[in-house]
Amino acid sequence: MQSAPKEGVAGQHNMEELRKLQPRYRGLEAGHRACQGCGEALAARLVTEAAGPDVILTNATGCLEVFTTPWPQSAWRLPWIHSLFENSAAVASGVEAALKAQGRSTKVIAQGGDGGTFDIGFQALSGMLERQHNILYVCYDNEAYMNTGIQRSGSTPHAAMTTTSPPGKERMGKRHMKKDLLSIIAAHHIPYAASASVAYPADIRRKVRRAVSIEGPTFLLIHSPCPLGWGIESDVSIEVARLAVQTGLFPVIELERGELTGVMPIRNPRPVTDYLKLQNRFKHLFTDDPRARKEREHVQALADHNIEIYQLRGEGVDALDTDGADTVRRGGVVD
Amino acid sequence: MKQLSRGAFALPGTSLDFKTGTWRNEMPVHTHWGAPCHVACPAGEDAQAYIAKMMEGHPKQAWEILVQANPLPATTARVCPHFCEQACNRKHMDQPIAIHLIERYLGDEAIKNNWAYPVDVSKEDGDPVCVVGAGPAGLSAAYHLRRLGHPVTLIDSLPEAGGLLRTAIPVTRLPRDVLDAEVGRLLKLGIDFKPRTALGRDVSLEQLMGEHAYLFLAPGAAKSRHWSVDGAVPSDLREGLGLLKEWLVVGDIPKPKSVAIHGGGNTAVDLARVMKRAGVADVHVITASGLPGPDADPKDVLNVVPREFEQAVEEGIVFHAHRTIQRLLMRGSKLVGLEMVHLKKLPGAGGRSSRVAFEGTETVLHVEMVVPAIGEVVEPQGFENLLGHADYFKADPIGQIAGSDRVLVGGDARGDRGTVTAAIGDGRLAALAIHAKLTGKELPDPKRRPFIDYDKLNVNYFEPAKRAVEPMLALEQRNDSDEIEGGLNYAQVTHEIGRCFSCGNCLACDNCWTLCPDNAVIKTVERAADGSHYVFDYEYCKGCGLCAHECPCGYIGMVSD
Repeated sequence: MQSAPKEGVAGQHNMEELRKLQPRYRGLEAGHRACQGCGEALAARLVTEAAGPDVILTNATGCLEVFTTPWPQSAWRLPWIHSLFENSAAVASGVEAALKAQGRSTKVIAQGGDGGTFDIGFQALSGMLERQHNILYVCYDNEAYMNTGIQRSGSTPHAAMTTTSPPGKERMGKRHMKKDLLSIIAAHHIPYAASASVAYPADIRRKVRRAVSIEGPTFLLIHSPCPLGWGIESDVSIEVARLAVQTGLFPVIELERGELTGVMPIRNPRPVTDYLKLQNRFKHLFTDDPRARKEREHVQALADHNIEIYQLRGEGVDALDTDGADTVRRGGVVD
Repeated sequence: MKQLSRGAFALPGTSLDFKTGTWRNEMPVHTHWGAPCHVACPAGEDAQAYIAKMMEGHPKQAWEILVQANPLPATTARVCPHFCEQACNRKHMDQPIAIHLIERYLGDEAIKNNWAYPVDVSKEDGDPVCVVGAGPAGLSAAYHLRRLGHPVTLIDSLPEAGGLLRTAIPVTRLPRDVLDAEVGRLLKLGIDFKPRTALGRDVSLEQLMGEHAYLFLAPGAAKSRHWSVDGAVPSDLREGLGLLKEWLVVGDIPKPKSVAIHGGGNTAVDLARVMKRAGVADVHVITASGLPGPDADPKDVLNVVPREFEQAVEEGIVFHAHRTIQRLLMRGSKLVGLEMVHLKKLPGAGGRSSRVAFEGTETVLHVEMVVPAIGEVVEPQGFENLLGHADYFKADPIGQIAGSDRVLVGGDARGDRGTVTAAIGDGRLAALAIHAKLTGKELPDPKRRPFIDYDKLNVNYFEPAKRAVEPMLALEQRNDSDEIEGGLNYAQVTHEIGRCFSCGNCLACDNCWTLCPDNAVIKTVERAADGSHYVFDYEYCKGCGLCAHECPCGYIGMVSD
């Protein structure tokens, strides 16, 4: 057995050995090709950390598939399979059925981006939920087709600029609303569905553990900023994710059998402009154009609507609200 | 392994072969910044360091860190204006950490449990040094010289050590058992203390110079400035520091019906409160300064601890800010009142500020007595040759007196200090300088180091939390012997410590480790070489800067690679 590295100069640390001694499960290893500051890579790391090691992963086509598995290498330390864009949920269903036939209890986690979940793989997902497979489906939501060059998806928020929803004479970015996927999932009356954000890692870990412990289909939507697609600096992706929650634009909620059973309360709702102005995809909303002002007000109304219908406004200080959930403590996270 | 005929496979974790660190153009580094509390403390206390130790559950080790700089923490916790708290970054979020209450807790615990200084008393291999004056500066110098192994002779003209801590600070602010415990503990470090030894009477400078390698002078400023109004003085004039001293030693204080105290420092406010409690009905303080308050310019306010000012107002002291005494109203040689006028310090010609009185703002105050408390100068006896005709010693920042190679000076005798904590800092710096000169080491650097600003912290990760409040005697319970302010218990101290932002220093919160998308922040098993608990794996770090942006303490910075 290797002895622990001792105090000394920085170069003295044996990184390879130290890496093996990390007090957490490593489902997604370093060396993957995600962009700097990738929210999706972080979210996938957190999910596998919380779920592993007795897990089999399936993956839809998308950034996550591409950056983790450039042949002949893989960043996964878990059994992982990719087939097509549209069939992550279907492949997972097959894997789960095979495990069931063998009498094994290994948990299956299907993964996809918002393109592979909201749009292309949606019917496979709906079928998986309807057939009550014992699978956790995780959607990493970065709100556009980032892998193929930032095309709008069903998840792209209203007024965002993508290469297929450019602002111009006709409209200010995407004309339509972000698809309310969680409500559609809720309509399947599955045991557990939730949203989460990479800005709140402890919340993600808690929800993943909760979901994998449930027998039956569960669903987790994780808001994962894309520095390239959103036009932000790589160091602020967490900041932006946090603001999405604190403004009310991305409600962090839990649903059981279709009913709302939990929300992350917002202690001090921030104006949506705090969130929008950090991102190039909303740059056109800060021009002189009178339509820009109207769209800003529209986005604010959408946030206010979320706060209202999900009752997101907190009442005073709460250790699990948007200001309390990521409070740090000396000596590390207490989960 | 059986070769699959269709599709492709890869072995787990093989991406480690691909070193994404080559993508980087900026790299994260750990940078230990000075915390504002540490940088602001004239005595050089590192509040953040002892708070961190306390948080680990080691009060004794925390105290040991504290006394590496300041040997009298239970004392300074009570009498210092707390520059650390004024600088604390937490004030931008809610209220500063109550550092003085943490210091007080540690100081009092040390007295209660008889903790010993982390000093090797048997070490006496240095050259002998003499310290003149056993006030805060002298005691601090003697302590630090003993830490460094020098035999120390400490002389003072009074029968007991403590200087102005004993002769000018009321027991209601600094109980004498606290002072005695701290001074007694200090003198037991093998210091040769010679009380009742006055320079110029019992011993001469030349004699001391002959017997010691270095001298440190800390005689304080004990002689009151000359005071008169246009040459007029009442026949029974007494000055403030003398009255306080008399009250502390003899227990007697004049009790006129009304008094005006002229001055804007601790002496003026302490005396005012003592006289009020002694039964003087009307106590006025006339000061050229402004009063502390949210909008006040810190350079223009009374030179007292703000809490002391608030307590004085509670007790019924009337303050006349931005005033001076223009004329004394006398009946014969007896005072019957005085004429005040509004006055402000304004920038004058040549960049210096001058005091301007405003005609037409004169008011008369009927008082039976006036007491000047306008500051003190060095008593020149024994120092005539060094001092010349000056009021104070002139010295460089470490205390070296120009032209006198082996003599350093510190504390109030410098004329540019004014707090117990600054005097303690002077004593420490002089001791380090003397040791450096005697051993050929590099001199200490008295310059203020840069410290980390609030905007470099990520305060999203801190919860608002109310500052601890010290218990205080109610107005009707205050007397001449009981301490007015109390301390905190362990639970309250622990809560207060939890409010520390740990500015510029690793909090070991796991944020970088949790949030790195590339698994490039690695937790160390033992503490890393730089004092943190993490190392960066530069083979994989892509330089995104997330860890730096999300570091609550500003401990991670990005530098170009």
